[in-house]
Amino acid sequence: MRKEGEIYVVHRLLDEQICDSEGRRVGRVDDIELRGDPPRITALLVGEGLYPRRLPGWLARTTRRIVGPETWGSNALRIPWEEVDELSSTVKLRKKAEDLGLGEGDDPGRWFVRRLPWN
Amino acid sequence: MKVILKIALGIIAAIGGFLDIGDLVFNTQAGALYRYDLLWAVVLGTIGIAVYAEMSGRVAAVSGRPVFDVIRMRLGFGFGLLALIASTLVNLLTVAAELGGIAIVLELLFDAPYNMFVVTGAIALVAIVALLPFGGLERLFGYGGLALFVVVATVFHQNPDWGDVAHGFVPSLDSSTLYLYFVVGVFAAALMPYEVHFYSSGAIEEGWTEENLKENRLNAILGYGIGGVLSVALVIVSGYLFHPLGVEPSDLGTVALPMQGAFGETGLLLALGGMFFCVGGAAIDSSFAASYNLAQFLGWEWGRYQGPRKAPRFTASWLVFLLLGIAIAESGINPVEITEYSVVFSVVALPLTYLPVLLIAGDRSFMSDHANGRIAATLGWLYFAVIIVLSLAAIPLLLATNGGGG
Repeated sequence: MRKEGEIYVVHRLLDEQICDSEGRRVGRVDDIELRGDPPRITALLVGEGLYPRRLPGWLARTTRRIVGPETWGSNALRIPWEEVDELSSTVKLRKKAEDLGLGEGDDPGRWFVRRLPWN
Repeated sequence: MKVILKIALGIIAAIGGFLDIGDLVFNTQAGALYRYDLLWAVVLGTIGIAVYAEMSGRVAAVSGRPVFDVIRMRLGFGFGLLALIASTLVNLLTVAAELGGIAIVLELLFDAPYNMFVVTGAIALVAIVALLPFGGLERLFGYGGLALFVVVATVFHQNPDWGDVAHGFVPSLDSSTLYLYFVVGVFAAALMPYEVHFYSSGAIEEGWTEENLKENRLNAILGYGIGGVLSVALVIVSGYLFHPLGVEPSDLGTVALPMQGAFGETGLLLALGGMFFCVGGAAIDSSFAASYNLAQFLGWEWGRYQGPRKAPRFTASWLVFLLLGIAIAESGINPVEITEYSVVFSVVALPLTYLPVLLIAGDRSFMSDHANGRIAATLGWLYFAVIIVLSLAAIPLLLATNGGGG
């Protein structure tokens, strides 16, 4: 599927799996940023900090207590639409995850990952 | 020739991997209580899992999406999270039940205490998973489970009144709530959702594409179909032996008794050995299913094929689910009881995970020419209706019958 032209954002883009240029799974499309008139997709928003937005009332509050407040660059990332390479069975990015700040959870350097017995 | 052999081996693994502790418990109890009367519900459940597995295998092969990927896409974050939580709780109960099952079988074989074997069994599973590649896991437990064909041999040895047996395949409803509870139980035991979550993720693990669609169909229809024959045989041997005596099997040891009656020590060992592999395989499948689901929903890297270094969160979550399973199995609750709850609650959670697969399987924008045809669509929606009815009935029946206690 081409990324130009019309895209059914809820049917095909929201909640889709994101993979980096090397095929690593690095998160899902948790929200989509539109700008302009007529509105155009300008960025994909990724990260657990965005989960409360997707949940109703008390569940949102409870989740926010777990994931912390929405912090850009930390638990909420903005992936500019230009970084998207193609839309196929996943959203494929042009760059490696670390260049976009993604994939930290499975990053071998992270404290939790370093402590696992097989590392 | 090589392709045919590969497909045949896949089907054999599917047959051996069909049964788990839920089938062993519910089918044996169903036979003891209602003789052959519930055979139709076994068939209904077996066709159900074939339909669901075929669809989700096809969706995985064509669109590259396993079940929880599809769930997040179609249900969105909120309802998807509900499906995730419900499925994870059910999967955890299932892991505990299967670990308990392994321990009981080992206890019967080696005469050592149950609690010790829960932990030893789980450690053995971790070692096996660490050593074997994905395909090897499927084959080891699938082929080992084939020893349970001794149940089919027992049916022919008993030589029951075949007219009575045939009559059991005609659907009949009884107004007693206990009978209805067993209809739900026998159906749900055949259609445990973790099997499908594991199956579809397995298709991605093995890199399936459109070229594997024939394999997928044969696995679902023949593999699960012949697996269903084992379930039917369990009901018959139990109905033949226990029903006239009024025995109510409440432990796994009883499940193996008809085979001992027919073939002595050999029959008993084959039955227990087959149960060990079936239940062990199911412990792996259900614990993997729990971590597949979590990783896919949150977009983590996942898969046995990635190895623990590339998929650390997936692997760590698998170990955590296994530990929680051990904790539940060691809590002192009878594993047969845990099994009953895991089976009955699984049908409650089933509609949420079944519907998204049905929607994507019929969606040409994802599936192009491989979208559901008329037969698959009709069967798919028909089963959705059946699942809805059973999932609404499950909890009231569980309460009304006091957990099947009558």
